[in-house]
Amino acid sequence: MNAFLASGPGQVLITLVETLLLLVPLLISVAYLTVAERKILGAIQLRKGPNVVGFWGLLQAFADALKMIMKEQIIPTGANRFLFVIAPMLTMVLALMAWAVIPVTDGWAISDINVGILYLFAISSLSVYGIIIAGWASNSKYAFLGALRSAAQMVSYEVSIGFVIVTVLLCAGTLNLTGIVRSQSTIWFVVPLFPMFIVYFVSALAETNRPPFDLAEGESEIVAGFLVEYSGISWGLFFLGEYANMILQAAMMTILFLGGWLPVFGLSFIPGPIWFIAKIIFVLFFFIWVRATFPRFRYDQLMRLGWKVFLPLSLFWLVLTAGVLVFMGWLPHSA
Amino acid sequence: MINQNWILALPEIVLAICAMAILVFGVLWKRSNPSFPCAMLALASLLLAGVLALSAPLGSAYGGLFAVDHFAVFMKLLIVAGAGLSLILSIDYNVQTGIDRFEFPVLILLCTVGMMIMASATNLMSLYIGLELQSLSIYVMASFNRDDLRSSEAGLKYFVLGALASGLLLYGASLAYGFNGSMDFAQLRAGLTSTNPPAGLVIGIVFIVAGLAFKISAVPFHMWTPDVYEGAPTPVTAFMSTAPKVAAIALLLRALEVPFGHLGQSWTQLVVLVSIASMLLGSLAAIGQTSIKRLMAYSSIGHMGYALIGLATNSQAGIQGVLVYMVTYVFMSAGVFACVIAMRRQGLALEKISDLSGLARTDPMLALAFAIFMFSMAGIPPFSGFFGKLYVFYAAVQAGYWTLAVIGVLTSVIGAYYYLRVIKVMYFDDAQPAFDARSPSLSFVAAVGALVTVLFFVFPAPIVNAAQIAASALFG
Amino acid sequence: MIAAIAFYVFAAVLIGSAALVVSSRNPVHSVLFLILAFFNAAGLFLLAGAEFLAMVLVIVYVGAVAVLFLFVVMMLDVNFDQMREGVQRYAPIGAAVGAVLFLELIVTVAGWQFVPNVTLHLASATPAGVTNTAALGHLIYTDYIFLFQAAGLILLVAMIGAIVLTHRERGASRRQNIGVQQARTMANTLEMMTVAIGAGSRQTGILRPLPPPARPLDDHDDHGHGGHDDGHGHDDHAHAGGH
Repeated sequence: MNAFLASGPGQVLITLVETLLLLVPLLISVAYLTVAERKILGAIQLRKGPNVVGFWGLLQAFADALKMIMKEQIIPTGANRFLFVIAPMLTMVLALMAWAVIPVTDGWAISDINVGILYLFAISSLSVYGIIIAGWASNSKYAFLGALRSAAQMVSYEVSIGFVIVTVLLCAGTLNLTGIVRSQSTIWFVVPLFPMFIVYFVSALAETNRPPFDLAEGESEIVAGFLVEYSGISWGLFFLGEYANMILQAAMMTILFLGGWLPVFGLSFIPGPIWFIAKIIFVLFFFIWVRATFPRFRYDQLMRLGWKVFLPLSLFWLVLTAGVLVFMGWLPHSA
Repeated sequence: MINQNWILALPEIVLAICAMAILVFGVLWKRSNPSFPCAMLALASLLLAGVLALSAPLGSAYGGLFAVDHFAVFMKLLIVAGAGLSLILSIDYNVQTGIDRFEFPVLILLCTVGMMIMASATNLMSLYIGLELQSLSIYVMASFNRDDLRSSEAGLKYFVLGALASGLLLYGASLAYGFNGSMDFAQLRAGLTSTNPPAGLVIGIVFIVAGLAFKISAVPFHMWTPDVYEGAPTPVTAFMSTAPKVAAIALLLRALEVPFGHLGQSWTQLVVLVSIASMLLGSLAAIGQTSIKRLMAYSSIGHMGYALIGLATNSQAGIQGVLVYMVTYVFMSAGVFACVIAMRRQGLALEKISDLSGLARTDPMLALAFAIFMFSMAGIPPFSGFFGKLYVFYAAVQAGYWTLAVIGVLTSVIGAYYYLRVIKVMYFDDAQPAFDARSPSLSFVAAVGALVTVLFFVFPAPIVNAAQIAASALFG
Repeated sequence: MIAAIAFYVFAAVLIGSAALVVSSRNPVHSVLFLILAFFNAAGLFLLAGAEFLAMVLVIVYVGAVAVLFLFVVMMLDVNFDQMREGVQRYAPIGAAVGAVLFLELIVTVAGWQFVPNVTLHLASATPAGVTNTAALGHLIYTDYIFLFQAAGLILLVAMIGAIVLTHRERGASRRQNIGVQQARTMANTLEMMTVAIGAGSRQTGILRPLPPPARPLDDHDDHGHGGHDDGHGHDDHAHAGGH
């Protein structure tokens, strides 16, 4: 048995099993995140939220999924059929692909690569393609406008996300995600780099097109942006992709700033994955809270915030961090 | 303790920092148009860079990427002089044309940094980086008058063709690297011990020469020159025809002499061909021109042909000749363009040769300066242009390149026709209304150019000796 | 074995998609094939052990540059059929030049012979125990710091150029000045009035917009949009006063 597992096909099998073990809970989490969001929004707005399907409305997610699958798929005339169909799949696949490098606890990553953080950054910068291709392939003005908005928005906020990541890397001294978490064993990076955490959180909202930065789908101005022509399960894939991206960004924040699987208050008897999941849930709650609290940004405000506030701020903090690390001799020398 | 590397590259570093400081100053200065103070600051930084370049210690820095030798210092001083003169030319012109923006001096400074890196480059990578920094700045400057169709066209044309030339250069560099495993000039030379280099390497050298020939607008890579010279704002044309030419020649000399000097038989015939073609085209195509800027474009093609004679000889005397030639060329070229910019009637810039008619009666000083530069460009003694040609022809004869020397003399005679025609138009044709009053900056540049051109034969020794020392650095 | 298969797959898809970039009829498809080509190039980098370059290729070229390409291609109405005609007209010349270059390449490959001690000069491999990224960093920030900074200057020039050649100050644009917005107090925007029942707006004095003031106001920015339009500002007052 061990000999088989060490061989080529055995390795492939192990990877497949690992992937399934990660993806199935992830997809279930995505489904329940939608329910959780509606429940939390309901609580904030003093109403009940979904409570009919199943106990406490817990089966609502499956009811929605069933509905989306059963609905008719409409492909508009004049649309580029191939790209129109491929775009939502792309969004979903990219959101799931990133999980390959996420360490759930020490050593629990499907692929613990050296440049893990760059891989995550690369994948998250690709998610714009799903939207821009959808917008173009729909052959509709609203969809196209939404796609352009979203492309500009994501490219803008990626710049400050990049600087935040570099700041964290300076402190961690490695691009490996496990290494980044381990380097936080004395202090989580959220403490010394708190402003960067805020910048990252807001940029993550923009990067996932979440409210208050959901201009790409602004219902009141461009109907629903790039989503306007989609229906049935292809719409559903976009929907699920957005939530999967949210979880991904929450996981990234957990790894970069909140110490990943590391326990607090010395409560190390609770296993690492539980801590990891708890921290993700904590961040996700903020995502939803923000949605319920803030009105949508205007487009020029969005661009102003990205280029004129976050970019200089993150650049300044990067230089400051580097200066402090060099001056105090705290630079991690990993190699 | 400061690393020796940084001290050697101090002129470039200081100039780059000055450029960035001026940029920030220009952005923050809200009270008035910052272009004039920025131009003055830029001139001061050029002066500072010149002084630093002169006083910098000699040596090699950054693991052989960058060398400061007498050759580099000579070329840097010439580059700084050319850039400074063009910057002075631009001050009043830009105001009159309505393009007086503070980015212009900043771009000139950054371009100068690129050119100084080119002069010091002893590695294919630093060669390329310097070249790109220089080229990119010039692309922008060529289309600086963005509301003018011709200026935009000039910038775009130069950009597209320049990108192609950069591609050729990179391709050649990659071949040279692939066959030798090193991008360092000294190691390239050490690796190429056999007298019979592999064919791929020769092809690499051909592509490098082609890329650099584009930058000095030598035939057959000259197509862009007339259009870009004509379309670009005149101070930019003046700049393009002085400092970048010096830098590109410096790069060509070093890139051929240092790593491939002992493989002369592989590339001298190439340079001979390019040189002859440039001289012929420069003198023949200029005859029919009516625009003085196009005329100067063809003239610069021809001049590069003459300068390449010195390189073709692959000898120290030849390189010395090239250096002397470049000194004379920079000053007369800057002077000519000062005169061209002075051609302005009722606020409108003029560029036709016929607009000059009777200038001797309306503005005798301008006509005199113009005539001096034209005589010098034609190579008529006792002006400096004659001595430049004398040195390269002499080196060619010494090295046994009789055909080159003869063709050079013949094309000089043909070229003299169109230079003298300009003088004839100024002195013997009917007078036209006078030009607008000259701004002092133009008079200054014209006077500097004329003084160097006229007095060169009185004191040639410092420049000739400096050129000799500089040339020996490549053969040391 | 798997690495060899992966290499040939990446290489084949790379060449195929590169060919499709040039030949597809639809420019958007061209850009998408370009992205596919970038991905496969990144894959080749990965196989060569240059993981940092692979990731940076994806981040920079696919994540940013190609997005802008896609932007431009989608926005501009370029008549590609017309351009194609030009291609057909000049195809013979292009083919001739290409053939000459190809022949030269053949000569190069046929005469492929390295300089004797070429291996001495080859760049040293990544030292053991150091990741590819760290090794690159060590080189870039020590031996090649000068070139690295000079390359930064090139980017600066590109940025200055883009701004110089395209940026225009538009006098008519309305800029939002958030500082001014935040600083305004209730006193200078809101006026509480007791309006008698049945009184017309003329009697109460809350008629808005106000008649033009005797001298022009100094501070245009007392209203929300910080614009240059006085009438607009008074509208704001009208709303505030009316409620």
